Amino acid sequence: MTTGRRRSLTSVLLTLPAWLMIVALIMVPIAVGFYLSLRNEKIGGFVEPQYVGFDNYQTEIANKVFWEAALTTVKIMILGLAIQLPIGIGLALLLHQNLKGTRLFRSALLIPMLLTPVAVGLMWRFMYDGDLGVINWLLETAGLGRIQWLGDDLAALFAVVLVDSWQSIPFVMLLTLAGLAGLPTSPLEAAKVDGAGPWQVFWLVILPMLRPVIGVILIIRVIDTYKLFDAIFILTRGGPGTATQTLGILNYNTGFNFLATSRAAAIGIALTVITIPLYLLWAKAARGQR
Amino acid sequence: MSRRRRPFGVIVGRAVSYVLLIVAVLVALFPVFWTLSTSVKNRVDTFANPPQFFDFVPTWKNYQNLFDDAQFVTVLRNTLIMTISSTILCLLVGGLSAYALARRPRFPGRRPLEVGLVLVRAMPGIVLLVPLFNLLSDLGLYDNRLALIALYAATNLPFAIWLLTSFFEHVPYELEESAQVEGANGWQLATRVLLPLLGPGLSATAIFIALLSWNEFLIPVILAGESSKTLPVFISGFISNRTLDWGPMAAASSLAIIPIAFLTVVAQRWLVSGLSSGAVKE
Repeated sequence: MTTGRRRSLTSVLLTLPAWLMIVALIMVPIAVGFYLSLRNEKIGGFVEPQYVGFDNYQTEIANKVFWEAALTTVKIMILGLAIQLPIGIGLALLLHQNLKGTRLFRSALLIPMLLTPVAVGLMWRFMYDGDLGVINWLLETAGLGRIQWLGDDLAALFAVVLVDSWQSIPFVMLLTLAGLAGLPTSPLEAAKVDGAGPWQVFWLVILPMLRPVIGVILIIRVIDTYKLFDAIFILTRGGPGTATQTLGILNYNTGFNFLATSRAAAIGIALTVITIPLYLLWAKAARGQR
Repeated sequence: MSRRRRPFGVIVGRAVSYVLLIVAVLVALFPVFWTLSTSVKNRVDTFANPPQFFDFVPTWKNYQNLFDDAQFVTVLRNTLIMTISSTILCLLVGGLSAYALARRPRFPGRRPLEVGLVLVRAMPGIVLLVPLFNLLSDLGLYDNRLALIALYAATNLPFAIWLLTSFFEHVPYELEESAQVEGANGWQLATRVLLPLLGPGLSATAIFIALLSWNEFLIPVILAGESSKTLPVFISGFISNRTLDWGPMAAASSLAIIPIAFLTVVAQRWLVSGLSSGAVKE
């Protein structure tokens, strides 16, 4: 055997454990999910489960609740990006000036990033409380009215987005900072020599150069919002009514509240299919980096 | 004219920057402060109106009650065991693949693996859990720690492989070649040459994967029963209580987040490369 072929063989063997793991714990469950989605299994159902073809998919496609959940997912995504991108990039620009104390500010601002979502979700729930919550106390002290944060459809949507933003703005900020640090200085200096003000420099020079980084931030945030579960589960479980029920929460509720295993499996397969366009966007963003 | 205005503009700019940064820090840290302070308040202070920010007598009672609860101690032990073992498993399996990906530009199955990792990263976990709940219940593996450990490792595998690949790429291949010329075998190569050079990268990856495992909620909330319950599931259990014990809840939350807040400050650079790994070339 040639060295090249032996090395190829070694590489295949080295990746074998990873493949084993992916097949056993990711691909097999998806296959089982597909199998379940073609049946009418229910937990505690009285009817003997049987093959029903694509009935569950047809049910879901005709189901208003499914499309509402899709819309809610998109709303949370857009609202989240609209908050996280400007604030994250803004904070990065503030830190990039390298004022005194920047390192301290940066460290403090990062802390929310990886805190246990369940723990901070619960704390926010406490702070959002209509009667005893510190947020409503603050609003009232400031002369504004109380808000039933988790009891009103629109407010609950905002409440969810705010918690997710609070946790993910540090990430946007850090990636932008890394992007800013990697920018060539000559275009900036040239722009200043030409008499451009700080806003012009930002919009016309810095932002275009940051485009690849912003592309990466965008796709990662879209994926992580698509996966967002813990915060919504803790804050609202999709409520009030179905106001914050995303596709992921709908999948959970269908499977573990309504115990409709097969319908939940069908929703799961739909969610799996949606990851394919996300992959394509990811590949595009990653290419933009190189 | 612009020359005379400029210093004043700079001063105003700086002042505005500081004000904005301070507001941002207050917003970022207030919920953490509120968790910690609620965890050392008694019931009366917790529900006081107006809220008590500093003017209360701290008490360790909430923590005492937690640790007096045998279940909580089990939960804490479970969480530690599962975090550590799944991190080790993930690093071992991920490390082998990462080495192949870093050293061989082409080999059979490389491209499918790369695509598969992104798909695993992008897929919502709930997708796996409805079928897994059925499957593991049928196999008698519901509430089984080993099954949970393997699942944690599988869902975190993309992060481990991407991070470790970029670290392997920084180790010059010539080093390995010369070690081989001197007659080192595969094991010696890994332990004597690669591991020492990879130390920092490996520990960064380990910290990141361990944090993700420590925080993991979706997998155990569905697949863990009483015997393998973890800290996030335990904390979430406070919601279903009609009484809403905010004090003990805040104490349990504090125990979950204090180590992370500390690690975030210490290992910030590594954590962000973890979160963005796969899409960003170092």
